[in-house]
Amino acid sequence: MRRFVVRRLAAAVGVLFVISVLTFLIFQTIPNGDPALRIGGRLATAQEIAQIRHEWGFDRPIYVQYFRTMEKIFNGTVVSYTQGVNVLDQIRHGLPATLSLAVGAGFIWLMLGILFGVITAIKAGRFADRALTVLAFIGVSSPPFFLGALVIYYLGYKAGVVPLGGYVPLGQDPAQWFSHLIAPWLVLSVLFIGIYSRVLRSTLLDTLGEDYVRTARAKGISERRVLARHVLRNSLIPIISLWGLDFAQIIGGGAILTESVFSLHGVGQFAAESIGRLDLPPILVVTMLTAFAVVLLSAVVDILYAVLDPRIRLSG
Amino acid sequence: MRKLRLVGTLGSILVLALSVSACGKSTKVGGTVTVLFGTAPDSLDPGMAYTTQALEPDQTAYIPMTTYAHVAGVEGGKLIPGLATALPTISADGKTYTMTMRPGLVFSNGRPVKASNFTYGIERALKIPWGGSSFITANIVGAEAYASGKAKTISGITANDATGQITIKLIAPYGAFDNVLAFPSFAPVPKGTPFKNEPTNPPPGVGPYKITRIVPNVSYQVVRNPYWAKEAIPGIPSGSVDRVIAKISSNTTANALSVLGNSADVFDFADTIPPSILSQVPSRASGRYEKVIKNSTYYFFLNTKTKPFSSELARQAVIVGLDRNAIARLGSGFFTPACYLLPPGIVGHPTSPCPYGDPTKPDLAKAKALVKQSGMAGTPVTVWGEMRSPRRQFVDYYTSFLNQIGFKATEKIIADATYFPTIGNLKLNPQTGFADWNEDFPNPIDFYGILIAGDAILPTNNQNFSQVNDPVINAKVNMLGSLYKVPTSSLKSVESQWQALDEYNAKKAYTAVYGYASFPKLTSNRLDFNAATLHTVFGWDWLTFKLK
Repeated sequence: MRRFVVRRLAAAVGVLFVISVLTFLIFQTIPNGDPALRIGGRLATAQEIAQIRHEWGFDRPIYVQYFRTMEKIFNGTVVSYTQGVNVLDQIRHGLPATLSLAVGAGFIWLMLGILFGVITAIKAGRFADRALTVLAFIGVSSPPFFLGALVIYYLGYKAGVVPLGGYVPLGQDPAQWFSHLIAPWLVLSVLFIGIYSRVLRSTLLDTLGEDYVRTARAKGISERRVLARHVLRNSLIPIISLWGLDFAQIIGGGAILTESVFSLHGVGQFAAESIGRLDLPPILVVTMLTAFAVVLLSAVVDILYAVLDPRIRLSG
Repeated sequence: MRKLRLVGTLGSILVLALSVSACGKSTKVGGTVTVLFGTAPDSLDPGMAYTTQALEPDQTAYIPMTTYAHVAGVEGGKLIPGLATALPTISADGKTYTMTMRPGLVFSNGRPVKASNFTYGIERALKIPWGGSSFITANIVGAEAYASGKAKTISGITANDATGQITIKLIAPYGAFDNVLAFPSFAPVPKGTPFKNEPTNPPPGVGPYKITRIVPNVSYQVVRNPYWAKEAIPGIPSGSVDRVIAKISSNTTANALSVLGNSADVFDFADTIPPSILSQVPSRASGRYEKVIKNSTYYFFLNTKTKPFSSELARQAVIVGLDRNAIARLGSGFFTPACYLLPPGIVGHPTSPCPYGDPTKPDLAKAKALVKQSGMAGTPVTVWGEMRSPRRQFVDYYTSFLNQIGFKATEKIIADATYFPTIGNLKLNPQTGFADWNEDFPNPIDFYGILIAGDAILPTNNQNFSQVNDPVINAKVNMLGSLYKVPTSSLKSVESQWQALDEYNAKKAYTAVYGYASFPKLTSNRLDFNAATLHTVFGWDWLTFKLK
């Protein structure tokens, strides 16, 4: 177990280094991406641009700029180029909204994905399977910005059932927190429910044909027990793997569209706005956060693998 | 008897109160107004703030030495004294401005305001540096040396704390300098304020309100400045509401719906009402919605230094054939088709018909003929544009139009953030593409001095995208040109000269102007719509907000 943790931590450091270098280099190659020009604005003179370059260190060699930026990230003083705000403060401020979105939506899509996957598998070829398959395809084909706009207009503006956006912290007002998040949770979940139910249906159908399932049935074990203990448990391995990565991506700001449509002011929305401004420091920090979350959660998923299937060993 | 008198008095008060409320026009003082923005301000620190989203709150908290009348329409462009006792007096040679700081002013932190705080505010804006610093460095003696670190003070500014007198020496006469003094970025700030952008803790200022509870990119509040009561500056309202809450939400559809549904009060004029709900806005927001034209011109630049638009006939072809109605439709109707660079709210906007016919009636056949006549038919043209809607759609239409009239046009669409630095790089020498100009201040020199004057052609951050270097224009609007020197207060006296110049510019087809943008003025039912001013310079004038 210790070796596993050490190896994963080393991998995380490596991934973060590579990701940060790549992100930094990409920004150096954008045509006319000179941040001094954007900070200076349309009327800045050549002298002012030179002044900005000097003060921000953009006139230093690239590797020096990289290490200075990384130093500022790790000592918490990194600020956005265009707004001058502390990036880590912004992330800290956005993280509760993003976590609230990720945890709620992650729970909904996992539960409903499994439920629909099981129903479509055991009712394969019947009406329920076909109906849920159609719904799954609709879900997968509905981008959050479209679905979100519909929800805001019809459920928010017309019916007044949900707020028109925004985020209320859990500690401030739990009821408002819930009412502001229910629509984003559902909108974000729809896509994943569709994907997860299709993946699970496929793996369940494969597993149902396995010899050990036939053996279990031959032993007289009840169908429900066969399904729960033998079929579902094995079929959940790819689902858990998928869930870990998706959840990590959302924690790292991956729900850009959902956060933006509902103005949750989470990490994803911050990332989207920073990309619009080509503001390197926030993008760098968010990218590293995503990478870290993915590495961390894939390690958690590996541990869950071992729980679900004792044949899998962490050291293996 | 005393009891009866009391009852009588109370009865009179009641009758008076009822009669006042029966008028139905009374507005209450106090309360909270919520403003929704689709875009966050660049910074609320006046030393950095440049966008309209920042200017709106800043003009309530950082009154500069001169400012603008708090009225709607063209009259809102009239300069009035701000913290100065009167508008600056200008020496005969136009190079020395003298003004006096009002006595007894106090910052929102309670500290007294001195004349030297004005100098400090300018120095700070130059060191940060503010996006419009060139208005100072290009004009005030010693400002550039100070900004570049070669001098410790700005030699051209002297401030006497005892008398409050401030003297500013200019390198050369610059008529719009009064307007420059009206930027909140050059308002006085307390000495000791750090020479760096303070986006979450902007410095104290002098104004009816102060900015507080800032959560960057999320929200902030503007609340009454307790020291303002001592000020009483004529022409500057103290504001009716106690608090303005500004919320930033990138979903402008939800913002518009919130204001339509009265769950928020003000929709940011700089945001676009999405076409999907635009059709229902006039009926649902009857009496609290209108389109307001502000001083901004949209055009396609035509590079006069390279083929095909080095040919005047080729440029004329674009002007003649451009379907401005189509562009207005792409802009959801928020465009008034036009041909002149100076918009109607700017002194010098011509009243004569457009030189190449009615801008709403394109003549495609004539345009094709002109392209043939110019000998530029088939010339490859790269059309530059931004990604954001509807600008991208303007460029899509424009590209297909150029192909229609005989050029071989292809699009080059780039990220919004890099667009102007890219096309402003002279080495690139872009042929044509999208351009716009939103006034920094209501003065024609702000358009011509930056967009058309020959000395405005710069190697980087060039804004004279058409690279116009016409001696007729230069004689008037270059830094030493005759119109460049005319003080703001005397602009009316040279109106006909500006009109003639703008007509000449249109006749030479240096830019394919297609319209002046209008903006949505949309409020909730709670707000007094008529009192709330969408100001020509400030944008929403928060000092005019009143709850019904």
